Amino acid sequence: MLEIKNLQVAYGPLLALHRVDLIIRPGEMVAIVGPNGAGKSTLLKTISGVLAPRAGVIRWDDETISAASPQRIVEHGIALVPEGRRLFAAMTVRDNLELGAFTQRAQKEKRAQLDRVYALFPRLFERQGQLAGSLSGGEQQMLALGRALMALPRLLLLDEPSLGLAPKVVESILAILAELHRDGMSLLIVEQNVHAVLALVERAYILESGKIVGEGDGKTLLADDHIQAAYLGPLARGAV
Amino acid sequence: MKLLGAGIVLAAAFAALPLITMRSDLLNLGVQIFLAVVLAQSWNLLGGYAGQINLGHAAFFGLGALVTRTLWVGGTPLILALFPGALVAMLFGLLIGVPAFRLRGAYFAIGTLGLAEILRITIGNLLPQISTIPAAELTSYNIWPRYYLTLTMAMVSVGVVAWLVPSRLGLGIRAVREDEAAAEATGVSALRHKLLALALSTALAGLAGGAFAYYHVSYYPQHTFSPVWTFDAVLMSYIGGVGTVHGPVLGAIFYVILREVLAVKLVEFHLIIFGILFMLVVLFLPGGLVEAWSRVRQLVSRRT
Amino acid sequence: MILAQQLILGLLVGGLYGLAAAGLSLTFGVLRVLNVSHGELLMLGGYGTFWLFTLWQIDPFVSLLAVAPAMFVLGMVLYWALFQFVVKAHEETRIKNSLLIGFGLTLVLHALAIRLWTADERAVTTAYAGAVLRLGGLAVPWLRLSSLVFAFAILTALHLFLAKARWGRAIRATAEDWEAAALMGIPVGKTYLLAFALGTALAGIAGGLVSISYSISPSIGMEWTLKALIVIVLAGLGSLFGSFAGGIILGLAEAMSVVFLGGPYREVVGLILFLIVLVVRPQGLFGARG
Repeated sequence: MLEIKNLQVAYGPLLALHRVDLIIRPGEMVAIVGPNGAGKSTLLKTISGVLAPRAGVIRWDDETISAASPQRIVEHGIALVPEGRRLFAAMTVRDNLELGAFTQRAQKEKRAQLDRVYALFPRLFERQGQLAGSLSGGEQQMLALGRALMALPRLLLLDEPSLGLAPKVVESILAILAELHRDGMSLLIVEQNVHAVLALVERAYILESGKIVGEGDGKTLLADDHIQAAYLGPLARGAV
Repeated sequence: MKLLGAGIVLAAAFAALPLITMRSDLLNLGVQIFLAVVLAQSWNLLGGYAGQINLGHAAFFGLGALVTRTLWVGGTPLILALFPGALVAMLFGLLIGVPAFRLRGAYFAIGTLGLAEILRITIGNLLPQISTIPAAELTSYNIWPRYYLTLTMAMVSVGVVAWLVPSRLGLGIRAVREDEAAAEATGVSALRHKLLALALSTALAGLAGGAFAYYHVSYYPQHTFSPVWTFDAVLMSYIGGVGTVHGPVLGAIFYVILREVLAVKLVEFHLIIFGILFMLVVLFLPGGLVEAWSRVRQLVSRRT
Repeated sequence: MILAQQLILGLLVGGLYGLAAAGLSLTFGVLRVLNVSHGELLMLGGYGTFWLFTLWQIDPFVSLLAVAPAMFVLGMVLYWALFQFVVKAHEETRIKNSLLIGFGLTLVLHALAIRLWTADERAVTTAYAGAVLRLGGLAVPWLRLSSLVFAFAILTALHLFLAKARWGRAIRATAEDWEAAALMGIPVGKTYLLAFALGTALAGIAGGLVSISYSISPSIGMEWTLKALIVIVLAGLGSLFGSFAGGIILGLAEAMSVVFLGGPYREVVGLILFLIVLVVRPQGLFGARG
């Protein structure tokens, strides 16, 4: 279970997150939606250990991980699929996947997990010797997801998984996320493409200007007027 | 202003020294210090203020020495022999700088390193014999003109940097050092400013080399292209306080005097000490002696 | 015939140039740190081999089994004492500071070597030193040939390590994108330490091989740093075998200059080639990244 209380994150003098509180219970699929610059990526980066909070607490299964290094966070079972994938473009698909299993814990199950990832993404198996940079956008997202899964996470963080992808591809990615969720994985998805993700998740938080301004279950929020106006209006409609 | 006052007092003291004492060892030490000041200040101009690390500074020192020595021994009056030395050094600097500055910082550094070695080896092959002042000059050798020449040069080098720093040119140069992209965005041509700093730096180094050629009775021409001159310049600038006007002066005085003291005991020992000191300064006290001094003053003023 | 003979010798020394460059290429590629004291490290490795041979008659190739780990440890110490502070800065400052630190280290190591062992030239002269393989009318010194093969073998081993091993892959990933690597759970600091130590060990091995077939003295440090830099600029970064090939090219170029311009300008040719490539094509002849 991930518990965040009073989280404050700053870039120098600029406060990016003001007193964020949120919870992700085991096996939940939660989304964070909000406009550009709201602080969604900052939140994920802080959970992953890339950024250190100025104040507040992040607890994972009753252990405080607020100031832990990215390495420790992965060892704890939280993996991030970064915004823009951040694949190792000059390395092969296979290499990227194997790198995902760097930690001691993941190394033990590497072979088995690799087979599972290939089963989930047969296209990756076909292209395993190819350089990651030569894959299509959708394949890259699959690789990024597969790479994160190699770390044997219990909580998967996804930063804008639908960014730059065609609608059909987004559908298939979301289908896979739903499948992972059914199998017991906790997921925290940050998305601007609100429409696609809200239909899928149990709960969602709305983050605006570094503050949580709303929370509710996916379908309720989807129908909410505020959301409709802000994010689903003709000007704000995403890639759909 | 206080610095200017201190500087004037120091310069006056140095200027008066030959009138007070006849001890040639002190006067020679003086020349060494003044040469060191010019050498350090010339590197500091490019390295400290423009932020461009020149690892082949010796090339320009050597070129100045070569041209000046050749002309002067050949009969040209010294004053006329010094300026071609500085000019040739400057031209070679621009030769490397123009292409290298378009690339990343490391390329300029290793490019100048390569250039210095090319010159050292080539000169070593072309002029392997020791260069000695002709007999006529030797009998009339007098330390005084050398002393005052190098003292003047030291003051000029400090003056050039002191003038440059607050000037519009100097501000542009420092802006480029801080953030090249930002500087370009505000209309400051990075290339032009870097080249200007380079030209001044190499010209001063060439002058220092010329003074060396005038001062030393005999030396191997390739020695003036040896990396030791670059080491000295870099060490003195950093230990004294790189990127300041008075840092290299402090560094030069400190370095030359300590070198004299230590060289008595063990030959290479002072290099090891200075090398380690230098690395510590770069990592932990980038402002060198200047920063150390201001921190001590802060500590003292907090107590009282 | 003279040309062919010189070319053979150039090829043989070129392998060592490549090995020297590979170590520097590794540390620069991974840490973005240009350690200009690389040649001094090579020199230290050479002295290690020399003393093990002179004091205890250990065969120089065998002594590398001791020299390589010792240099690896030295690399760890240097990283811990100096370069770990350099890597904390952003890339531009990082490179600048690494040049300065490397420069300072060059000074210290050079002076230390002179103090400890004097400026005299040393060479390892084994019983089999003079043996020569005759190919047609050409003489191929066995020792240098073995060194070339050895160098190639080391690079192959390193290549396999980087390609297949867990930490080797981690090094490559960190070199490409250290932030993404950190997100995989890769400890970036330890990876840097490993890469730097490996680079230093490579320098030491190259130095050992140099002491076997050529001579060493404290002044070879700067010389070999420049060789490594020339090869890196010629071959670009990113490929160990590219460095090896670049080294061979340099060796051959030097050989040709010896034949056409005479011995004293051997070093100069390489440096001029270096400056030309630097100005015209800084990413090198084979390189991807600059």
